[in-house]
Amino acid sequence: MNMRWLIRSQSMVTLASGMIYPYYLLFLKNLGNSYAKYGLAFAVFTISSAAFSQWLAPRIDHSGHRVLLISSLGMMLAMLAFPWVESYAWVLFLQLVMGCCSAMQKMSERLLLADHTVQGERGPVIGSYHFWTSAASGFAVILGGYLIDWLTIDALFYASAFMYGISAWAVWKMRKP
Amino acid sequence: MLLLLVILCVYEYIRTDTPDQNPYLITDYSRLHPVKVDRVVKGKEEEQLVRLLQEAKEKHLTVSIAGQRHSQGGHTYYKDGIVIDMTDYNRVLSVDPDQRQIRVQAGATWEQVQKAVNPYHLSVKTMQSQNIFTVGGSISVNAHGRDIRSGSLIGSVDSFRLLTADGQIRSVSREENPELFRLALGGYGLFGMILDVTLNLTEDEVYRMENEAIKVEDYSRYFQENVLGDPDVRMHIARISVAPDRFLTDMYAINYSADPALPLEDYDKLRTREQGVIPSKIMFSLNRSSDWGKNAFWSMQKLYFTKQQNKAISRNNAMRSESEFMEYGQPGANDLLQEYFIPVDQFADFVHGMKDIVRDHKLHLLNITVRYVQEDHEAVLSYAQEDMFALVCLFHVPLSEQGQAQVREGIRDLIDEVEYKGGTYYLPYAAYPTVEQFRRAYPGYEDFFRKKDEYDPQHLFMNYFYEQYKGE
Repeated sequence: MNMRWLIRSQSMVTLASGMIYPYYLLFLKNLGNSYAKYGLAFAVFTISSAAFSQWLAPRIDHSGHRVLLISSLGMMLAMLAFPWVESYAWVLFLQLVMGCCSAMQKMSERLLLADHTVQGERGPVIGSYHFWTSAASGFAVILGGYLIDWLTIDALFYASAFMYGISAWAVWKMRKP
Repeated sequence: MLLLLVILCVYEYIRTDTPDQNPYLITDYSRLHPVKVDRVVKGKEEEQLVRLLQEAKEKHLTVSIAGQRHSQGGHTYYKDGIVIDMTDYNRVLSVDPDQRQIRVQAGATWEQVQKAVNPYHLSVKTMQSQNIFTVGGSISVNAHGRDIRSGSLIGSVDSFRLLTADGQIRSVSREENPELFRLALGGYGLFGMILDVTLNLTEDEVYRMENEAIKVEDYSRYFQENVLGDPDVRMHIARISVAPDRFLTDMYAINYSADPALPLEDYDKLRTREQGVIPSKIMFSLNRSSDWGKNAFWSMQKLYFTKQQNKAISRNNAMRSESEFMEYGQPGANDLLQEYFIPVDQFADFVHGMKDIVRDHKLHLLNITVRYVQEDHEAVLSYAQEDMFALVCLFHVPLSEQGQAQVREGIRDLIDEVEYKGGTYYLPYAAYPTVEQFRRAYPGYEDFFRKKDEYDPQHLFMNYFYEQYKGE
């Protein structure tokens, strides 16, 4: 496996998620009149993520790569669906899907990082991983603001979907040595 | 890499460090004149509003009333005062299909009204082209729209309840407190807080859309013969080209004619999504950014509307026009509206005069739509002193002091031209006109401000419209 492509793909994932995340919160807040309703949407995300992780745990060891790919594709579909959602129930459903995707992404990236590094030599790889994913997130937030100002929040969802698509492609590339 | 990110952040800080972007100041859609207010309170319950008024009186604070804050002249806030945001005071109280009436709280939007009346095959008589505004706000500006048969909004208001400065809640209609009816409708929130409103409705119908290209010189005649003269035409809107190639010469009109042969049931599902916002917004940005963009936008608009020829649409759906694509939030500049009412037979002459003024003052005109308003003297500050065309003009303006001074000068010249042609202008927009221009356009002003002092001697209800146009 090529560690560079793992970093590239996951930088792309943080670019896609960082771009949408703060604005997505505004989008969700506008859906309900109460903060409680807003809280519920997030609870669904975390609960589904936690529950799915338990199902995934015994299965992930030999399919980390595939799981990472599915998580990017799943997020891409969720981002494409958001602008078309017209009911709160659908938002909850998408939150549920995104919770599962988040569990897949977080667990498999850690697994792959651990699998392909050796004890005592992990520091530089993890450092490089953290640097690129964090920097991507910084750019993403600024870019997201521009995109909404010039276009709409829907355009931001589509742009994020595109980035998740690229990350899926990068995960695909990663398989080659 | 990190350095680049830091530089980008610093650049962004500097770019957005303008007063119109200050989150701790209050302004309206115009982003002009941001100030600090005591606080913004969400209106929730009637008793709470009464208590708030009492508290403001005791503490000698002013009260301003806000809906969607789309007025652009500081009508919805005042420095150091309390702003009451009515958007949560928005319940639909009752629909009476037999009487064809709806009663809503003032913060309800037209979208809520449409949703409530659509199942009964009823429809609003008069409202703005978009349905995002609150009923209370629309009443306070005595709005008008595309309907050519129902007059301005005041005509479809049956009654309302008004919380006045003395803490009393009064029923206001043409029978009860008729004076307040004429003052508070189009009263810009200066006579009290509108709590709930009873509106008269009309039937929902299916319209066929027809488009026609015309020249500015021919428009008055065309309108009188083909639009007003055809009893089937219920709604109408026209556009004047601002593209340099056809600057203020070409127009196209859209007429909505009733077609009883089409069953309403096939068309009455309310459209809830705005269509094609992303491409429209890109095109409108091009229109804003260059002459080439303006030409392209005009051609594209024409193409779009030609494609809609003969399209059938329900009245309720025709009254929920797209608006999101025009939103603009960049620091230091904004798109602001101005609206001029011109007597029907003076239209072409006025547009001709306007052309020179816009060019001389280098005003950046983005869009002009034309609607029709019938003569109506009911409101004390009535704008339609005879049958008029309303020219709704969207200008792209800088928000800097110097830039604003330049725009102000141009707009004042335009208003002189309006006055010369026997017209008036609309009051919900930026306070560019002089006090003298205001007084000449609205001869009822003396009565208006004298009654304000009578009903609200302590000036509890306050805004910048009052401050700027009360005069001495």
